[in-house]
Amino acid sequence: MWKKIVGGTVLLLITGLLAFVKKHDTSKISALSLAEVEHQLDGSVRNPIREVDTVLAKIGYTIITEGKAEYKGYKGKLVSSYFVCTDCHNLEQEYSSLTEHSPEDKLVYTTEHNLPFLPASSFYGIYNRKQFYTKDYVKKYGELVNDARDTLENAVQLCAKYCSSGRYLEDWELDAIMHYFKSTELKLKDLKLSHQELSALENLERLSSDQKEAILKKVRSKFTQSYIATFLPAMDVNKRGYGENGNAENGKLIYEKSCLHCHDNARVTYLDLDHDKLDAQMFWRNINNYTDKSLYQIIRYGTYPIAGRKQYMPLYPEEKMSNQQLEDLVAYIKELAAV
Amino acid sequence: MRKMKKIIGLVLTSVFVLSNGFTQEKESETFNAFKIVNAHSTKTLKKREFRYIIEHRFGDIAGEQGGVQTGFGFDNAADIRFGFDFGLSDKWMVGIARSKGANQPYRSLIDAGTKYLLLEQTKDLSTPVSMAITGTMYYTYQQATTNLTQVNSFPTQVDRFSYASQLVITHKLNERLSFAVLPTYVYRNYVLAKDNNALFSVGGAANLKLTKGLGLIAEYFYGIGNTMERNASNTNSLGFALEWKTNGHCFHFNFTNAKGMGELQYIANTESQWREGEFRFGFGISRTFKY
Repeated sequence: MWKKIVGGTVLLLITGLLAFVKKHDTSKISALSLAEVEHQLDGSVRNPIREVDTVLAKIGYTIITEGKAEYKGYKGKLVSSYFVCTDCHNLEQEYSSLTEHSPEDKLVYTTEHNLPFLPASSFYGIYNRKQFYTKDYVKKYGELVNDARDTLENAVQLCAKYCSSGRYLEDWELDAIMHYFKSTELKLKDLKLSHQELSALENLERLSSDQKEAILKKVRSKFTQSYIATFLPAMDVNKRGYGENGNAENGKLIYEKSCLHCHDNARVTYLDLDHDKLDAQMFWRNINNYTDKSLYQIIRYGTYPIAGRKQYMPLYPEEKMSNQQLEDLVAYIKELAAV
Repeated sequence: MRKMKKIIGLVLTSVFVLSNGFTQEKESETFNAFKIVNAHSTKTLKKREFRYIIEHRFGDIAGEQGGVQTGFGFDNAADIRFGFDFGLSDKWMVGIARSKGANQPYRSLIDAGTKYLLLEQTKDLSTPVSMAITGTMYYTYQQATTNLTQVNSFPTQVDRFSYASQLVITHKLNERLSFAVLPTYVYRNYVLAKDNNALFSVGGAANLKLTKGLGLIAEYFYGIGNTMERNASNTNSLGFALEWKTNGHCFHFNFTNAKGMGELQYIANTESQWREGEFRFGFGISRTFKY
């Protein structure tokens, strides 16, 4: 009897003591720059901006959203007369998690967060990505992607000059954009690491190389290193669903968040689109061919800049719009055209 | 007079507030081209856009000057105009052009004009119409005739100038049908005694869209307060057009009794009559670029 009472009291005391032991505080490590930590774990990881210059970052944001900015003695000059970065890129997170990259998830997430559904990857976390212009972009830009694949600065320059039909950025402009990217880079807390994993990262210098490798692998499994781009051919006319298996409600979302992002009131392009029966009938008349007015063609190939008309429509890789989503879009167009 | 100024001030303020204060969804493609047939439309270039324009009017299709002998007018060029327009903002554009002139009575015309979009029709009809105002100045550098009874004797340099202003009010009724009302004022510095310096006319136009890119247009101008002599010799302009919009181009094919282009010619100097076969084929092509 006494044994039980003493035993119970001791157990209660131990539990009580444990409750008063202060939990190890990991908030400091959580706020650490992911690039900085990765660089410490693997010296080959680039971290060109060590500290954010907030003024430059603001200038970078202006260039990204408005196409030009003024800074000190430098006069603002448009990077491109045709596009700004946000025509094709979101600045916010566009998937439900950092490891997710399905277009279905992206449509749900961007809808919930009132963001457009765009053909290029978001700038959110771009500072921490390892590859750009992946896989099939070589088909579009050829050897130009060689230098742009591994270095963010080169990728930005390729985008400025060729993707936006503009010019190469001046050093200060590129610097400003890099500071903006750095200001929106991922922090360790964004990776949702466990308490134990965060604690391990606090004592990096004490870790062996094997331990470093293991934890780096763990860290990298928590976010997307690069978004893959697969270019699909225009679907064969005999294999097209013509909206039969499409979800028109989803298609309406894609039309509004994707097509109208640029075409509403001809904001970026000359083609003016709306929720208009005549617009839908134009698409429907061309649905079974391989011209620019066929959705099956234009989504997969886009158009290309030509002399005298540098505006063009970027293509949607499979990872940015699935074939099912394309069918959804066609289903909505069919409904709108009332055919 | 003071009350009048207050009313004008109030109207202008309302227009400014309406055109800048709201961000409702706007109607677009009421008229696809920058011209309806002869008149201006409410379409304006956007900021950092420019376009070149080539417009052509052939000779009479039928009547004394037309028919088989002139290839139904294709042998003759009643007027030819080419020019450039620039978008200063999304609502304000300016342009300059040179016309051959229809020789009725002017030739060798330079026109410089501006158009400002005052209102844009919204989908919820909180702004029921689109409205633009234009101002154009014409100058002819044709050689003056020594016959002082002719209007093109131009005693002084100032006599070579004329001006026009047009208020363009459009309404898109539905996705296929749009209308326009076009009060227009033309002032010529030098006219013959029997003529009016100031001319006021009201135009009306309708656009029936057959497809997204194809539209059928009719346009008519009625002159108000003209002298009897003027009414005896001049006619109102009536035109029909087929506009065809592609990505980047807008083609405009028209039939009209007006020989010349620009308000100075089609309002002030149209003498041809449809019923006499004095109407002609014309076309306009414009291409828009960004800069």
